[in-house]
Amino acid sequence: MIRRTALFLTIALFCCAALPAAPPDAKPLVLAFVPQENPEKLIGDVDAICAYLESELGLPVKGYVTLDHTAAIEALRNGDADVSFMGGLPYVLAHNEIGAQVVLAEVYRGSPTYRGRIFVRKDSGIKTLADLRGKSIAFADPISESGFLYPRDIFAREGLLPRDADLKSFFSTVYFAGGYQQAIQAVANGFVDAAGVSQFADLLLRPEELAEVTWIAESDLIPSHVVVARKGLDPERLAAFKRAMLKLNQPDYRHLLKHVYSPDGYVETSHQAYAPVEELARAYGLLRTDRGG
Amino acid sequence: MKTAKSTPSPGLVAGLLIAGLMLAATGGVAHIVNEEPWHPVPAAYLRSLFYANLKPIPWHRIASEYDAPLREPGFAGKTVYELLAPAQAVAGIDHAAAIRRAIAERDRGALYDASTRAVAQLVRSHLERAAAALDRPAVARSEVLAAQRIYRAFADPYLEAAAPEVYRHLGRTWLELTSSIGSPGVLGAGATPPERQRFARASSEVLAFLRDNYEVARGDAGRGRLMPLPAAVDCGAIENDGVAGRLAVLPPGSNVNDQDPLPLLRLNFEARGHDERDLFMVAYGDMVFDSPRIFGEPARSLGIACSTCHNRSDVNRDFFIPGLSHKAGSVDVDGEYFNPRFNDQRDDPLDIPTLRGLRFTAPYGRDGRFASLRDFVRNVIVNEFGGPEPTPLVLDALVAYLLEFDWLPSPYLLPDGRLNDRAPEAARRGEALFNKPFPGLGGRACATCHVPSANFIDRQVHDVGSGDPSAPGARDSFFDTPTLINVKYTAPYFHDGSLETLRDVVEWFDDKHRLQLTPQEVDDLTAYLEAVGEAEEPYEVFDDENTPFALAWAELSTFLSTLDTLIPARDATHALLLLDTVGPDLRLDASAAQDRSVIPKVYEIADAVAAIRAAIAAGDWPAAAARYENYKSLAELYGPSLR
Ligand code: HEC
Ligand code: HEC
Repeated sequence: MIRRTALFLTIALFCCAALPAAPPDAKPLVLAFVPQENPEKLIGDVDAICAYLESELGLPVKGYVTLDHTAAIEALRNGDADVSFMGGLPYVLAHNEIGAQVVLAEVYRGSPTYRGRIFVRKDSGIKTLADLRGKSIAFADPISESGFLYPRDIFAREGLLPRDADLKSFFSTVYFAGGYQQAIQAVANGFVDAAGVSQFADLLLRPEELAEVTWIAESDLIPSHVVVARKGLDPERLAAFKRAMLKLNQPDYRHLLKHVYSPDGYVETSHQAYAPVEELARAYGLLRTDRGG
Repeated sequence: MKTAKSTPSPGLVAGLLIAGLMLAATGGVAHIVNEEPWHPVPAAYLRSLFYANLKPIPWHRIASEYDAPLREPGFAGKTVYELLAPAQAVAGIDHAAAIRRAIAERDRGALYDASTRAVAQLVRSHLERAAAALDRPAVARSEVLAAQRIYRAFADPYLEAAAPEVYRHLGRTWLELTSSIGSPGVLGAGATPPERQRFARASSEVLAFLRDNYEVARGDAGRGRLMPLPAAVDCGAIENDGVAGRLAVLPPGSNVNDQDPLPLLRLNFEARGHDERDLFMVAYGDMVFDSPRIFGEPARSLGIACSTCHNRSDVNRDFFIPGLSHKAGSVDVDGEYFNPRFNDQRDDPLDIPTLRGLRFTAPYGRDGRFASLRDFVRNVIVNEFGGPEPTPLVLDALVAYLLEFDWLPSPYLLPDGRLNDRAPEAARRGEALFNKPFPGLGGRACATCHVPSANFIDRQVHDVGSGDPSAPGARDSFFDTPTLINVKYTAPYFHDGSLETLRDVVEWFDDKHRLQLTPQEVDDLTAYLEAVGEAEEPYEVFDDENTPFALAWAELSTFLSTLDTLIPARDATHALLLLDTVGPDLRLDASAAQDRSVIPKVYEIADAVAAIRAAIAAGDWPAAAARYENYKSLAELYGPSLR
């Protein structure tokens, strides 16, 4: 295991006021949130979800917003956090490195899976993936299953760009735009020829932009984002936490989902569901093969 | 009857461009796709410029944009001045002091120069910090993304409209920046090192662009509208046919389209079982109610129509434009922004009234200044929103449609306005109080003005003390007695929306008119108002069948059915108004489709509609008729699947 310099750069730490009912010496349950687009946005959300969990669990609950995935995973490793929220790829990396366990999967539009897509402008004349040879493409982020790995793998699947090949041997320029919105807008606004991002990314376009964009290829199914817990978290605590999170599926609690990245709900899942992500991560050299969970 | 999910129509018109700053609602979808919120600095900057274009300039609003504590998560308690502080490091300029001075001196040119420079240098400071943090990719990344969020003040839609080539070039330069900072990976996996030279090249390009275009003093000389455009456009170095000068953009914080929940629309003919497609005038009026094209600029380009404010015959309670609204659901309809000629110079936003039951509620206007609905509506179109003189058909159709607006049935009211026996006990005690004369009301009862047997109005104006007379003793704060039917759903109350709840209204009357009510009586009278104001089903209920898009499609296809009359009549004027309203709306509404696989079908229908338009514009009526048939078969084929 490689130890890195402490990247645990916490942007902010928020404590929800402990519930009077909670035993005074109870160790708080700690949630680490990874900023998805900008760090500020989540901070308001953290308070709301902690307050809900405190009242459900009768325990103090704290939330951290971390700088990035590594920081969140380091926190899980050190016991500085008990639970975190992340995409399938960071999860399999965390599972392999520190034994993080999957708790629940998020549901969007009725499904715990989604796809990556290759978007182009309608007026670009680009109809097939092969047309993208020598063209520019924007992905969201290199450590993202739907914002890079899966869309990238479409080109391997179609025999256009082998998994071990340099991206530059097919595309003229490859960009990482920093997020889905930046990537999909880069296509809509004509900065790049294509974007490889989540199938939902086009929801971020203004209606008049949407009318100008279409997609030409779709990845295999990607298992959804997950709630993960650190290895060794007290099973009772974990079970209670899971129950509280599943309760968010009920009509009376649904409004709280927007405070945890707004999925439509949660379902039970298993590590097995993430085997395809693991396989892909391994194929792209992101996982070492000599390590088990 | 536009739905809340409708979006602005694109400016097909005379090269005018659409409001770009309001992202469409993405309706509760996943962090997979969370929308970027505005950074407070560009938001305050753009709002301040918007205010500085109003007359008279609301300087107090500009001042508070910069010095009021923020509430945005992550910035709470700070002020925009404080957030600008890091920009001082760039060139030693005290931006806060410069902006404060401009505000104190009420110098809009100086405000423009100082605030534009401050925003540009704040972008610069983040890029400088990113450069210094290149060996810590996570830090560098958050600095670049912060810089980009602030740069947004200039980019979209201003630079995009003024200089599309430059805009695209810089868009790619920002991609160079985000791509060259490298990636921290996760636990080292997938880490990529920064590309320092690539970063330096891109960064210096952005910085040079900012320096030359936004960090220069331009002053107010000869400049009409203040906009965050590059200096190169001002001085003519970038040619743009004046397009940028005509941009219609609402500032961040505006909300003219999202409304949740959506009020239920109750039309009299529908309640009686008739189909709108059989009622030409009503269907055409419904379309006009939804058409920004009857207005002048900027309302037209912004996609603002009657339905934007009076959504589904009720009120868009979330409507808000900074500087024009004092609270959500209000707007000043006679200010500088919508029609400078009609600017009454008074900052007097009004709570948008519901139009339910409109045919019974004359006179019109909060102060009842128009006896005729037709006169009122013409005034709205021509004066408030600077539109061209409407044709008689447009006005008559609009009025025909407005006259169909019904109140929502109340579960507790008898036809004569008395409560039935299902009404709660407290409400029935309140009913007696409502009908009881009070010395404080000059011996009148509430019911004297809100006459229960006459829809709770008296069709008179009164000064109940809710207004703000121009001078002591001046008789100019009279308001039309509003109905109390459905009043439970029309908060806030009074012409200016100054009271939030019905209890507040009761307490206000008790206080102002010394009614000397006991706490129990306050409760009872409130319960009475709630019972009178109740509605069985106040909001549209969406499900898998009745989706927002299905609703939008139902109305757009109803509008198009008026071609059954207009094509045989060879009425090009009205057919074109219809098609220019529906065509773009159809395309834009497509993005609201629940089932995204239907979007291409919607575009196909939109193309068919565009084809009808082209034939009519060319005066080829036989072709128009044939293409209309073609549209109808497409609509029949796809219609049922459009959700
Ligand atoms: C930007 C928001 C806005 C738009 C757009 C708008 N209105 Fe209004 N409307 C208002 C406000 C505010 C009032 C109260 C104004 C007043 O009393 O002078 C009002 C009042 C009215 C009234 C009087 C209601 C009553 O009971 O006294 C009618 C009728 C009306 N509007 C119809 C229309 C029609 C028809 C259109 C489109 C041609 C339209 N409005 C467009 C905001 C708007
Ligand atoms: C002299 C006539 C008169 C009497 C008496 C009167 N009202 Fe009103 N009421 C009005 C007028 C006029 C307004 C509109 C004031 C404004 O818009 O600022 C109004 C507004 C209201 C509103 C707000 C409705 C809305 O949609 O904004 C309520 C509720 C109301 N009155 C209830 C009462 C009650 C309860 C009483 C008795 C305590 C009462 N009124 C007595 C004339 C009267």
